Amino acid sequence: MLQDFLKRFSGQKRSSDEAKKRLQFSLVYDKLEVNDTTLTDLQTDIVDVISKYFEIDKDALELKVKNDKDVSALVFNTPILHVKRKRA
Amino acid sequence: MEGKIIVVTSGKGGVGKTTATSSIGAALALEGKRVAIVDMDIGLRNLDVVMGLENRIVFNIVDVVQGRCKIDQAAIRDRRIENLFLIPASQSDNKNVLTSTGVERIAKELRKKFDYVIMDSPAGIERGFENAIISANEAVVVCTPDVSAVRDADRVIGLLYARSLEPKLIVNRIEPVRVERGEMLSHEDVLEILSIDLAGLVPMDEKVLISSNTGTPLVLQNDSTAGQAFRRIAKRLNGEKIPIEIPNRKTSVWSKLSKTFGLR
Repeated sequence: MLQDFLKRFSGQKRSSDEAKKRLQFSLVYDKLEVNDTTLTDLQTDIVDVISKYFEIDKDALELKVKNDKDVSALVFNTPILHVKRKRA
Repeated sequence: MEGKIIVVTSGKGGVGKTTATSSIGAALALEGKRVAIVDMDIGLRNLDVVMGLENRIVFNIVDVVQGRCKIDQAAIRDRRIENLFLIPASQSDNKNVLTSTGVERIAKELRKKFDYVIMDSPAGIERGFENAIISANEAVVVCTPDVSAVRDADRVIGLLYARSLEPKLIVNRIEPVRVERGEMLSHEDVLEILSIDLAGLVPMDEKVLISSNTGTPLVLQNDSTAGQAFRRIAKRLNGEKIPIEIPNRKTSVWSKLSKTFGLR
């Protein structure tokens, strides 16, 4: 107990505070993880929609989730081959 | 009226799921309810030894689901607590032997025979877990105040929500002295991280190991702080409105002193 008291005085960190911070961070991060099936399904859907308007190079396209410190972004990159003509 | 199925789960193993299941089941029986505890940890059965019923197993849950016996034949009656029954897991099969439709069919029958059916889920989030939660009306998640148990609890809570179950949390093995020292997450910390409702808080208690050594129900021991905590949890699950009791911190001279100095 005396040790505990001295620890407080010397301003030593409480390991439980660190545990809490690390947990909060990792849980947020865990939830941003997207599994492969979801990503593949999404890619198929996006390609379907875009193909209504553009002819795209399906082999060169790329879809991924980019996680940065503060934000995570969905990045879809595709070369356009032609713009399709709108049907009347 | 049909009974309720409550699944007890945790994600991580070794957090006290089996103790929680047997204690809650026993405590509900002490409340006068007819209770069946079902060990869904196929291949790694444990509830029977913890409850001291290992010598009386004839049939198990796999036998029931596969139609080799009736529920009444597999349910072992506890001789110390009235209206308490255990349906043991099979020790020789593996987790994939049960199908979800088979489990659902038996669950329906169990609800007709008992007021409460407590399902002890295996650790993990695979098939065995899915089988344990498939017919549940309510869910209880057990975790201890450490980073791995809390993280796994969060994952399991997510999976339960996806099944439209709103789990309640038990924080087990709380050591007030260590919480005070800043060496252990407090229950407030855990709740803030997981943001779900509490079923109750259970202090670290040496009596838990001792009662499992002898296979005697923890909830019958009046001097067991954990046993008493589980009795209150059972009452809450049974619809009684009783306040959450926080495992008490022994107020020592030093902690009082440091409080006075505003060091906390």
